[in-house]
Amino acid sequence: MTRKTLAVAAIAAALLAAVAGSPAPGTEAARDAAALARAIANEEDHVTALELARWIRDRRPRLRIVDLRPAADFQEFRIPRAERIALEDLPARRFAADESIVLISGGGTHAGQAWVLLRAAGHRDVWFLRGGMAEWLDDVMHPPQPDELTRYFGGTVRMGDEESADDVGAAVKTLRRRGC
Amino acid sequence: MTAPLFEQGAFGATGALVAAVVIGIAFGATLERAGLADARKLAGQFYARDFTVFKVMFSAIVTAMLGVFWLGRAGILDVSMVYVPETAPLPQLAGGLLFGAGFVVAGLCPGTSCVAAASGKLDGLAVLAGMFAGVLASGLAFERIRPLYEATPRGPLTLPQWLGLPYGVVVLGIVAVAITAFALIERLEARR
Repeated sequence: MTRKTLAVAAIAAALLAAVAGSPAPGTEAARDAAALARAIANEEDHVTALELARWIRDRRPRLRIVDLRPAADFQEFRIPRAERIALEDLPARRFAADESIVLISGGGTHAGQAWVLLRAAGHRDVWFLRGGMAEWLDDVMHPPQPDELTRYFGGTVRMGDEESADDVGAAVKTLRRRGC
Repeated sequence: MTAPLFEQGAFGATGALVAAVVIGIAFGATLERAGLADARKLAGQFYARDFTVFKVMFSAIVTAMLGVFWLGRAGILDVSMVYVPETAPLPQLAGGLLFGAGFVVAGLCPGTSCVAAASGKLDGLAVLAGMFAGVLASGLAFERIRPLYEATPRGPLTLPQWLGLPYGVVVLGIVAVAITAFALIERLEARR
């Protein structure tokens, strides 16, 4: 083989490498582990229920709210604009690069794990609701202090003797009884 | 079976040592065939008289880099398991300068000194002796040079991480630099 042929072969292999991007699927995620750790340490991974409520009210552009809870729970109660995607279906879903994705689960653990999955898949603008649906019910729908956001979302003020929403199902039923 | 074979448990420590001997002999034979057992050729690199070292080493880098990338892509090599030496700019700069000075004085580097010694050259043996003396001396003086040794640690750092670029783009960049450099050197050599 002549030197010219070798040079052309090397350039072709390198051009294809530039298109391929990474030497193995998943390598980018491994490379990104340090960046993920920094995002978690700097608390740039989650939103609070009140922040999310403001994003929805202010119509934050390209916001997608992904509810990971079971279908029955989603039917029972959902955050406005939320869509349901099962956790096992999430890796196969494609999101546009400019979308802000907020992940919601019952308590927050599954959403936090899904956050890692989406970040590892290369999505930059991903958040999870810190305390899950329980925090949304506690802080937005049924807070101890009246708040304009509570009124906006049709919630009610929590009375002194009422407990917080540790059990999401029971809290939703309470909410239903109150007629919202 | 995927590589790296040793990390994947395909063979034990004895197998790894046998593989090291086989690969080492092949490496030495290739260096000898490329003419790198000759101190004059190596020193010629520093005076820009002879570019054999640059051409051999840079083509080896390009070949290995493309091989690692595409073997990884084909699922034969798990790139995440390949050992990456740690980066520490300050001690490596100091060590590199000292190494370079020794290289140009001796006309041989560790690998080529073994090749030169194996092919019966006395200067190769002398460089080998000097190298072992240096290893011993730096081992004995390690407590004194420890602050320098431990300065500016950056951990295992690769070019794609440092530059924040995709792996494949860095591969393309290095191949482009290599091909351009080879073409320029050929022109320079043709003119002489």
